[in-house]
Amino acid sequence: MEQKELRAWEALCIQEEPPACRAGCPLNVDGRSFASAMAKGEWSSARAVLEKSMPIGGVIARICEAPCEQYCLRKDIGGAVALSALERTCVENAPVRRKVFRLPARPKKVITVGGGPSSLIVAFDLAKKGYPVTVYFGGEKPGGSFNDFPEETLPQAVIEEELSYLEKLGVVFNPIVNFSPDCIASADSIYVGQDDILPETLTFTIQNPDSETFALAEQGWFTGGMSDKEHRYQLITNISEGRQAAISIDRYLQKASLTSGRAALRNGKTKLYTRTDHIPSLQRKTPASTTGYSRDEAIEEAKRCINCQCLECVNHCQYLEKFGAFPRVYARQIYNNSAIVKGTHMANTLINSCSLCRQCEKVCPNDFSMADLCLEARQTMVRENRMPSSAHWFALEEMYSAKTEGSLVRHAPGIEASKALFFPGCQLGGIRPEQTLRLYEHLLELQPLTGIWIDCCGAPAHWAGREEAFAGIIQQMEKVWQEMGRPRVVTACSTCLKMFRDHLPAVSVESAWGVVAEHVSVDGAPLEAVAISDPCTARDDTETRAAVRALLKGLGRVDAPLAMSGQLTECCGFGGLMDCANPEQARQVAAARVAQTDAEIVTYCAMCRDQLARTGKPVSHILDLLFSDLAHPADERPQSISARRVNRRQLKSELLSRYPAEEQAGKEAWEALELIIPETVAVMMEERRILEDDIRKVLYAVANGGQRFIHDESGLEIASGVLGSVTFWVEYKVEEDQYRLERCWSHRMVMRREKA
Amino acid sequence: MNLSFIPADMNWTCQPCGEKLQPGMVELDYMGNVFRVELPVCPKCSAVLIFEDLAIGRMLEVEQLLEDK
Repeated sequence: MEQKELRAWEALCIQEEPPACRAGCPLNVDGRSFASAMAKGEWSSARAVLEKSMPIGGVIARICEAPCEQYCLRKDIGGAVALSALERTCVENAPVRRKVFRLPARPKKVITVGGGPSSLIVAFDLAKKGYPVTVYFGGEKPGGSFNDFPEETLPQAVIEEELSYLEKLGVVFNPIVNFSPDCIASADSIYVGQDDILPETLTFTIQNPDSETFALAEQGWFTGGMSDKEHRYQLITNISEGRQAAISIDRYLQKASLTSGRAALRNGKTKLYTRTDHIPSLQRKTPASTTGYSRDEAIEEAKRCINCQCLECVNHCQYLEKFGAFPRVYARQIYNNSAIVKGTHMANTLINSCSLCRQCEKVCPNDFSMADLCLEARQTMVRENRMPSSAHWFALEEMYSAKTEGSLVRHAPGIEASKALFFPGCQLGGIRPEQTLRLYEHLLELQPLTGIWIDCCGAPAHWAGREEAFAGIIQQMEKVWQEMGRPRVVTACSTCLKMFRDHLPAVSVESAWGVVAEHVSVDGAPLEAVAISDPCTARDDTETRAAVRALLKGLGRVDAPLAMSGQLTECCGFGGLMDCANPEQARQVAAARVAQTDAEIVTYCAMCRDQLARTGKPVSHILDLLFSDLAHPADERPQSISARRVNRRQLKSELLSRYPAEEQAGKEAWEALELIIPETVAVMMEERRILEDDIRKVLYAVANGGQRFIHDESGLEIASGVLGSVTFWVEYKVEEDQYRLERCWSHRMVMRREKA
Repeated sequence: MNLSFIPADMNWTCQPCGEKLQPGMVELDYMGNVFRVELPVCPKCSAVLIFEDLAIGRMLEVEQLLEDK
């Protein structure tokens, strides 16, 4: 990923955009964090939030006209959060937090002509930066209109406290009567604060300043505080002008551009998207007293803040939530991950844990695609030879098994050309072999010229980012299809369907459920409702989703509501090889999915059925309803990884037996080895991804005099064998001709005994 | 990496060698990284025992660490 691409990814995720209140505050006060602290009654931290952006907070918090409130997303659901009143409660209940902290003194001098609100802000901001500032104030004391507020609104003591703070920062206050042309000559920059009573005797005239920088035509001169009494937000606007002028003065004195890279006022504009349709209306709290909120009332009011966030994707996706941030952050982590030359690639698990299900694209206001981001990262990792070899190992092994010992393509027996080819999908064949055969027979009744093609579509290679291997698989599949006479492909797997559509555009392909649905008629009264969990690869396949619903209706089933279904559907935890790279997360994903409904779940993806059923929730495959005599109980446990292999081989063998002229390859000698597998070991094998095949191969060598270790007391034996890139170990006891398994484990490190 | 991984229970005999396992130096290699460690070994045929706790514990940890390097 290039840095430019990272920027493009980052721009799509708007979670870090400011909430509307902050975007609407000319001082950039973080109203969301403020309300959050207030809701917890943490007055002091709330004050710290204010003081971070608000100069002379004790004064401003009491009198700000709160333009933020007009942008508050609560506005139409009970009224804007009363940030203005809350700020007052905050500063009344928490002491000043800020320390007198001034940057090292700078030689350039600044004077303000006027001591009104805007001038005090200029003094505050510039004195903190180390500039010596002299304020020439009109009237009897500094503060201008601050002094006009009634005592109960803005006590004199508070103004004096803030003025004394300014003095501690080195600000010098001088009555404007002492102002003379010499003062101008001695200053490096001059601010004319028009929000004070300036004597008519001043000899200079003020033209209109630049609207962004508040610079006057004369070099080094700036102005502000120009809002008149008609302005609804007069005071805060004047204060904002002071701040903008202070930014300009600092830039001017540092000989920097006044405009380059300068953040413009947002005036409430933000890209942050926040969904509010699920938020119940709640009326703004009215204070019992005329002097404002009590502490309890303030907490209650602050709790009305809806804490504006986008997080649309994160709120729906276990994976995005588990990694603790949101896509903008993830994009950066993934970018950094690829930039690392030496050190640990911290984001490998993040990259490999995405199901590539693309739900995020559907719920994101900007269509952010974690799938594209992660898949591209995986492809780069594979190209650069730094993809952890264990990450997708098991799924790829299973794919190669399905593509070799489990694959077969034939015209129907006695037929020399096929009009259609049934491609059940390797997981359907592995999980439901008898139903796969029955479905084939059913399709043959509908179209006798239907051949059979059991194989894997190559999705695991694609998901693993193995572009080269995947291209080879696709090429080979196209060749097979050509050799079969380019028939229409009918598949019972949504992933296969998507792979064909996306990568083999020449092939005419359709869903088996569409074919079957056309021939099902309503039979009897509706039975109980079922929730249809669409596989994630059917997200954009409206046709198949509709066919499945028609089929279920035909079978007398009522479609129970499931919030995240159809194009918003969720992954079962297998997609994108999540189950391989992050099995723990895959279990959480499945658990969260089944928790969305109380109804029995039906799906039309064999892998979804098993992943979801692993949670203990009853889940049926559509074939259980279609062929009730072959139905598996909805609460049946998933097929083990070993059974899937055996089932595929048996399915192939059963299909081959229909061609008497063909000789079947005999079983491997090791297949006959008899194992006794206690339940605990079966669980261990499943978790550790160790197949009965692996164990049989290891023990077959033992049975033929191979090396093993025998325990001197218990008689237990341990044997091992290297199969591909993994060394498998099994601890067992020999019982007559059988092997009772005790434990099994594996590792990838290669061992070499040193020569003596 | 701690260089010695000898299980508490060393009552294992290699078959068909008939030799009791003894601590011996072994090279473990993963992705080109080689570690010299002491493990139970058959003194006759040099067969090595990687016991379960080692395989699913420290060894797995190091494998994953190296994969993310």
